Amino acid sequence: MTRPARITPSLRITPSLRITPGLRLAFAVAILAAVWLVVLPSIGRLPAVERHVRLMESRDVNPAAMVYTELEHLPLRPAWIERHLVLWPTGN
Amino acid sequence: MATDPGADLPRRGFHEDFAAILIGVALVVLALAIGWSGRPTEDAGSRKAFPKGWPNRLSATIDKPQTWSDAPLQALVVVDKKDKTKVKPVSIPILLGMTWVVGILAAGTLLRGRSLAAVLPGACFLALLGGLAYLMAAQKVINYYNLEYPLWALLVGLVIGNTVGAPKWLEPALQGEFLIKTGLVVFGAEVLFSRLLELGLPGLLTSWVVTPIVLVVTYLFGVHWLKIPSKSLCMVIAADMSVCGVSAAIATGAACKAKKEELSLAIGLSLLFTVAMMVVMPPFIQWAEIDPIVGGAWLGGTIDATGAVVAAGEMLGKNLDDKRPAEVAATVKMIQNSMIGIIAFAVAVYWAGWVDRDVAGPKTSLAAEAWRRFPKFILGFIGTSIVCSWLFTMSPELALLVDGAINGFTSRLRGWLFCVGFICMGLQTIFRELAPTLASGRPLILYCGGQVLNLVLSLAMASLTFGWLFRQGVTP
Repeated sequence: MTRPARITPSLRITPSLRITPGLRLAFAVAILAAVWLVVLPSIGRLPAVERHVRLMESRDVNPAAMVYTELEHLPLRPAWIERHLVLWPTGN
Repeated sequence: MATDPGADLPRRGFHEDFAAILIGVALVVLALAIGWSGRPTEDAGSRKAFPKGWPNRLSATIDKPQTWSDAPLQALVVVDKKDKTKVKPVSIPILLGMTWVVGILAAGTLLRGRSLAAVLPGACFLALLGGLAYLMAAQKVINYYNLEYPLWALLVGLVIGNTVGAPKWLEPALQGEFLIKTGLVVFGAEVLFSRLLELGLPGLLTSWVVTPIVLVVTYLFGVHWLKIPSKSLCMVIAADMSVCGVSAAIATGAACKAKKEELSLAIGLSLLFTVAMMVVMPPFIQWAEIDPIVGGAWLGGTIDATGAVVAAGEMLGKNLDDKRPAEVAATVKMIQNSMIGIIAFAVAVYWAGWVDRDVAGPKTSLAAEAWRRFPKFILGFIGTSIVCSWLFTMSPELALLVDGAINGFTSRLRGWLFCVGFICMGLQTIFRELAPTLASGRPLILYCGGQVLNLVLSLAMASLTFGWLFRQGVTP
């Protein structure tokens, strides 16, 4: 049994006026598209953000790496560490 | 994690965990075999000639969208870093990457004795959504501030799931748990125990003393002090905060069978705090005049995500050529990465033996009960890790074979599997279930409390080991 449309003094809401799931999806997609195609590129042009991106690019850093294998350079022990630290103390 | 639709149907094939192990191990073996068949004839053992391992021909069959700033189509080409006019299209490897996901879903479906025809349309659609999530994560601002792809994969799934809902034809393909388990078995190849020794005793002390203490104390703080009803939520938050972010959350979440909503929440918290710490910690270290090497070790021990650790370490360098803080930070984080296998195994044993134990059920031995509940795919994860670690230590040539297989294939494939797995999770996530816990603010307090302890202990240990006990007194 369908429920009768709710009647208020100022507004009559009919089923046809309800936001359908399809409309909700279209609305969400529109917001996401606006953020990714307009807002984020604009943020990317802010001087502080531009500076950060340039620094990372110039140093060949992949800040999105989840684990070490996704880094541009594998973090293998550099020579200076051997001079700087006693890695395995021998007691001598 | 909660079970997939259809998990209760009578089975004619393998259990999900065994299917994940079979497929994951087969993929790692395939990558090693292809790498071996294409081994170089000259300088085969030279790390200088092959810094990221031997080239692997499978690398041509998988890639992900590249970073883009204004137009998403920029994601389909790789621009040469030295000569910006040279571009290489990657649309075919991206499409092939999606094909790998569809193929793995199909193989898993067959092994588990289900209908392939029912899964294929949904698998193709999910792979396309995976490409979309990767494209969103590749936007330059997002990428350079370390908002990793799992967040966007979850968002894509959540948007569809909470607006139109998952259509009926998609449901058989929603096998997020299977994809993540297979991804973890493949990921095992990257968790090399030999990397644990890369920084010697100072590195071991910084990672192996602080990390387990923070993990256990944070978990107990959540369960007993904050009285968060879900123990798995406490464990996932404790692991992602103390070990290494998203990857640790995925591994421990699977080990303690955390709900999809709990894993989503833990990952969201971790990524937001990672961005904040990546931006705030380097200036703080400089302001407090902490030694850059100690500061680098501190960053490595506290910031969750590996990429953000390196980014923060680079900001700490005194000039463009000073890579020391970033190198120390990345190596400490790599040691923590290598702990994931052991921690996931320990969590799985603890959960199966003590947390999930049915006290009212029939009396069986603790070992038998623990084995019945133990998530078997963890054995595949640990197995690939042990075999690849053993190969890695056998000879310089085999180390380069393993590195080439990981960098050229398995790490990219694991990324695709996690990405599509998170889309499935997003599609099935009901945040209403977490509303009371979220509204109480206790997960946030748990993360912050644990992170404060992590910051204090890591700084103390980094100062002790890198700044005093093992310091040679030589300034390079």
